[in-house]
Amino acid sequence: MQAWMWLGPVIMLFVVLGFVTLAILFERKVIGWMQSRIGPNRVGPWGLFQTVADVLKLLLKEDIVPQKADETLFKLAPVIAFVPAFAVVAVLPFTDSLVFADIGVGLLYFIAISSITTIGILAGGWASNNKYALIGAMRSAAQMISYEIPLVMALVGVIMAAGTLNLSGIVEAQKEMWFIVPQFIGFVVFFIASLAELNRTPFDLPEAESELVAGYHVEYSGFRFAFFMLAEYVYVFAMSALTTVLFLGGWNPLFGFTFLPPLIWFLLKFSLIVFTLIWIRATLPRIRVDQLMQLGWKVLLPLALFNIFLSALLKEIPGIGSYY
Amino acid sequence: MQWNGEFLAFFLLSVMAIGGAVFMIHFTRVVHMVLALAFTFLSIAGIYVLLHAEFVAAVQVLIYTGAVSILMLFGIMLTKHRTSDHSDSRSRHQLLSFVGVAAFFGVIMWVIYHTPFSGGKAETAKYTVANLGEWVFKQYVIPFELTSVLLLAALVGAVILAKKERDA
Repeated sequence: MQAWMWLGPVIMLFVVLGFVTLAILFERKVIGWMQSRIGPNRVGPWGLFQTVADVLKLLLKEDIVPQKADETLFKLAPVIAFVPAFAVVAVLPFTDSLVFADIGVGLLYFIAISSITTIGILAGGWASNNKYALIGAMRSAAQMISYEIPLVMALVGVIMAAGTLNLSGIVEAQKEMWFIVPQFIGFVVFFIASLAELNRTPFDLPEAESELVAGYHVEYSGFRFAFFMLAEYVYVFAMSALTTVLFLGGWNPLFGFTFLPPLIWFLLKFSLIVFTLIWIRATLPRIRVDQLMQLGWKVLLPLALFNIFLSALLKEIPGIGSYY
Repeated sequence: MQWNGEFLAFFLLSVMAIGGAVFMIHFTRVVHMVLALAFTFLSIAGIYVLLHAEFVAAVQVLIYTGAVSILMLFGIMLTKHRTSDHSDSRSRHQLLSFVGVAAFFGVIMWVIYHTPFSGGKAETAKYTVANLGEWVFKQYVIPFELTSVLLLAALVGAVILAKKERDA
C-alpha cells in the first residue's frame, strides 16, 4: 500500500506524458487525414516518433528570458499553469478500483483546481511584457471565467440526478442509463463550455495566431513553452476523462458487454471524446471575440439554467423520474 | 501537543498563509501582491481540508483563488497607471509602527490565553456535503433565502449602475 501510494502518481505522470505524446501525433494524423494530407510520416514507423523528436528539439533550444520581462514571474508562470493540470488527475476514477483520491467533493475539486491555471496564464502573459502576450492572456482569462459558469451550471443536472459530488458515485449512478440521454442539454452545454475552457478551436482566441502571433506564450521558448503546451494537453486528457465519467457512464459497459474489462470501456469512450475534440478542430472556424461572449452569457448560461429547471421538474414525474 | 502528520500539515499551511500575507505587504509591484494574496487563499483552503471541510475548501479555491484573484489581476493590468508602489521609509515612523504592532500582538496573545474555550470538540466527520446541504436547506433556509435575495438586489443594482454609465 505504501509503495503504491508513492509509485502510483509517478506512473500516472508517465501515463499522462505518454498520452500527450501520442495525442499530439494522433491530432496531426487525424487533421492530416481530414484535410487529405498524410501528416507526419518521416520520424520512425508511421511517424510514431515525431512528437518525441519535437520535444527533444524544444529541450535543446536556447532558454530565452526577455530583458524587459519580470524574470521571477516569467519563470514561475509555466509551473503555476502546469501543476493544477496534473493535480486534477488525482480525483479521476478510471475504474472502480483505479482511483487515486476518492474524495467526497471530487467534481468541485476538479473545477476549482483547474481555475488556478488561469492565474498561470495571466501571470505569464503579463510577465512577458509584450502586448500580444498580454492581450492573449486577457482573452484567455475572460474566456475561462465566462465559460466556467455554464460549465458548472450544466453539471448541476448531473449532480441532482446522481445525488453526490463524488465522481465514483456519479459513475455508479449511471449503471442503468448514462447521463448523456436524460441530461442531453446539460451534455451539449458542458461539451461546448469545456471546449472553451480548453482553449481549443473554435474557441482558441487566446492563441489566435493570425491576430496575436501566438497569444500568451509568444515570448516563451524551449522547455518553458513546452510546459504551457503540456498543461494544455494534460487538460485535454483530464477534461475528456471527466466527460466520460460524467456523461458516458465511466467504466460501465454498453449493452451489458461485460467481456471487455472496465478499463478498456473507459479508454474506448475516452478516445471517442478525444477524437471528437480533434474532429471539431479540423471542422469549425474560429469565432470572434464578441460572438464568444454572446454565446457564453446569452445562449449557454440560459440553456444550462433551463436544464436545471427541467431536470428538477422531470424528477417528479413518475416512470421517467428515476432517470433524473 | 502531539507531533503528528496533521500538526505538521497545519504548521506548514499556516506558515504558507502567513508568509503569503507578509509577502503581499512587502512586495512593491501590485501584480506580485495579488499573486501572494492568491497563495494565501490557497493555503487557507488547505487548512479547511485539515478541518474536514472539503466543500468549503473547494469553494474557497474556486471563488477566492480562482475568480477573485483573477478579477483583481484584470483590474490592475488594464489600469496601468502606477505599476509599483514605493513607500517612503522614515525611520521614526517605522519605529512607531513597530511599537504599535508589538503592542497589538501582545494584547491579542493575552486575550487568546485568557479566554476559556468552552464546549467540546466538534465532530468534523459529520460535515459531509450531504449534511451541509440538509442544514442549509432545512435548518437555515431563511438566512439562505435572504442571502440570495440580497445578492440578487446587488446584481440588479450593478446592472443599473453599468447601464447609467453607458447612457451618459
